Amino acid sequence: MRKLNYGKAINEALGQAMELCPDVIVLGQLVDYKSGIFGTTTGLVDRFGPKRVQDFPVSESVMTATALGASLVGLRPVLVHQRMDFMLYSVDAIANWLALWRFKSNGQSSVPVTIRVIVGRGWGQGPQHSKSLHAWFAHLPGLKVAIPATAYDVKGLLLESIFGEDPAMIIENRSLFSMNDHVPENAYRVRYGQATIRRKGKDLTLVAIGVMVPMALRVAEQLAKEGIDIEVIDPRTLTPFDETTICCSVAKTKRLAVADPGWYTGSFAGEIISRTCEHLGTQMKAAPLRVCLPDSHTPMSSALEARYYPSDEDVANRIRVMFGRQPACSAA
Amino acid sequence: MTLSHEEIRRRGDYRDLSIDGFDHETLKKLYYFMLRLRRCELALIDEYHPADEMRCPIHFCVGQEAVPASLSLLLKHDDYLFTHHRSHGYYLAKGAPMNELFAELYGKASGANGGKAGSQDISHPQSRVYGGAILAGALGIAVGAGFGIQLKNTSQIAVTGSGEAATEEGIFWEAINFASVKKLPVVFVCENNRYSTHSPQENRQPPGNISSRVAAFGVRTETLFGNDVIKVYAALKKAVERARAGEGPTFVEAFTYRWNGHVGPENDDHIGYRTADEIEFWKRNCPIALLERQLFDQGVLSQADKEKMSAEIDEEIADAFAFAKASPFPEDADWRRLNLSPSTPLADRLLKDDASAQFDQNQQYAIPGPY
Ligand SMILES: Cc1ncc(C[n+]2csc(CCOP(=O)(O)OP(=O)(O)O)c2C)c(N)n1
Ligand SMILES: [Mg+2]
Repeated sequence: MRKLNYGKAINEALGQAMELCPDVIVLGQLVDYKSGIFGTTTGLVDRFGPKRVQDFPVSESVMTATALGASLVGLRPVLVHQRMDFMLYSVDAIANWLALWRFKSNGQSSVPVTIRVIVGRGWGQGPQHSKSLHAWFAHLPGLKVAIPATAYDVKGLLLESIFGEDPAMIIENRSLFSMNDHVPENAYRVRYGQATIRRKGKDLTLVAIGVMVPMALRVAEQLAKEGIDIEVIDPRTLTPFDETTICCSVAKTKRLAVADPGWYTGSFAGEIISRTCEHLGTQMKAAPLRVCLPDSHTPMSSALEARYYPSDEDVANRIRVMFGRQPACSAA
Repeated sequence: MTLSHEEIRRRGDYRDLSIDGFDHETLKKLYYFMLRLRRCELALIDEYHPADEMRCPIHFCVGQEAVPASLSLLLKHDDYLFTHHRSHGYYLAKGAPMNELFAELYGKASGANGGKAGSQDISHPQSRVYGGAILAGALGIAVGAGFGIQLKNTSQIAVTGSGEAATEEGIFWEAINFASVKKLPVVFVCENNRYSTHSPQENRQPPGNISSRVAAFGVRTETLFGNDVIKVYAALKKAVERARAGEGPTFVEAFTYRWNGHVGPENDDHIGYRTADEIEFWKRNCPIALLERQLFDQGVLSQADKEKMSAEIDEEIADAFAFAKASPFPEDADWRRLNLSPSTPLADRLLKDDASAQFDQNQQYAIPGPY
């Protein structure tokens, strides 16, 4: 099977979408430059020309409004933001216009705009270059939100978004860009609202969001050696959200933990726990657990970053405690 | 003839820098500041790799020393300065200490922000200099500081430095409009270095000067060759005096050029977004060299003076590195305390706790009508 990394899978999805449909265009700062947004748009301008792949002024607000307007004329724009922090100038266009366009037109008007937005850590990115506000956007009705963890999923979800009928936000974590996965060459779909079970287990359901998925799998592997058999579920999309897969798993394991790369308060992890408890609260064997970022802006210093971002050991220890075991001392 | 990057190149090497009638003390200070900023940036560039101890993105400002140098002489301690991501010149212009800048880049507890902010989000509140990496954000806040100064009726001013790309954000024009209508004591300095990362201005903005667009809002503007520090100083001096005199905002568009890559110590010219010719032109027309030639020719300064200054600056830089490297990393973080104030002194003084609240639950909502 062919392997591709996450960044290249995005690049392939964009290229295929543009081949399949002449209405697909890509807009964003530097999308037409060699560096190509971490390689994800590299080569597109050579293949499809400068009309369909356009550098945009540093005007995020009107970029989103432009995409909405262009979608009314029949285009299928894909926007690219190098950081979610920069996209925030366009929150009005997203929350007051894009997300409610279908609703307020009584379903008569579709605005298929795809917003690719990159999040995550990197050398001392600090508080204005690292925010992951997936919970904010999942809160908005009318906007689909995907947070793919694998190259396979990002390609399928990106294609699904571009050719869907509603605005969609794809949240991509930089730490995943170099990770490989089996990626089919054809234009396939990964549907919204379908979680996937990444590892079967019987003692605990561990729901991992986005960049936490590879970590959850490593932790599950580690704890299996200690006799804790973990089922790892990747929801893949937050809106729409697949509650059924998670509830079926928890009905079996009777325990739930969620690993979420967002802040604790108002986290999507809290939403997952709440939904699960609404159905199964009386059957759970242990209080649910969420591992999130602390309620703090991101510190620049590497020394503080190391405390800010949960490590494999942190997640494993929280789970050990859930099972009444001693937390292991961290090596550091 | 409107000035533009193209026009500056067409005119060829710059020969108009004149120090006639300028007092020597000011000239030496301008020169010293530029030399200090240049050497500081070059030292940081040298030190960044391979040690890799400064683990944050840095936007160096080599080649863009004239604006910060001028501001360093014009701003008073209680004036405010708001900078974009390319922050080091502005930080030093406000008199904030070099050793705390370096320690911040190293992520140390003794850094200007205790390692929370790094280069692109740095501030030094005691020196009233504040930065941030979201384009045009700090610029909008400068207008707010100007508004506050006007309400408080003090003689302070607010200055903001940004690049030409900041003018593509909507908030830029909102800020200009508001500063103009309220005649706020604000000076906007735009260092037009032609590029937003790798994208040239002509791909992002219509032709014509940014300053003429700003002038349409009734804001006084100046457009000039930004590597002539004498012109930059004179323009900013006028702007600062007007702001202090309550005559409203000024926008100064200074054409200049960054020598290094957009971010980080590496050169990014392999991307092919600018020509070797262009880079060479701007290096030949270096703001420091242009002034130095006049100072040497007219005997204001000698080679020996320069060497003495350089040695003094290098000592300051070495001390800053030593301070940064010797400082400890921040201790365990108290996230809550870092994000919310642990105390409320004014509320404690002005307000009382009260336990008498008694809501009458037998009331009806008054659902408002359509207007
Ligand atoms: C709102 C926002 N959008 C995009 C960016 C990414 N970005 C960082 S620096 C930069 C270029 C800025 O160019 P300019 O304002 O001319 O300043 P220069 O870097 O040339 O000094 C861009 C686009 C950002 N920091 N903030
Ligand atoms: Mg610029």
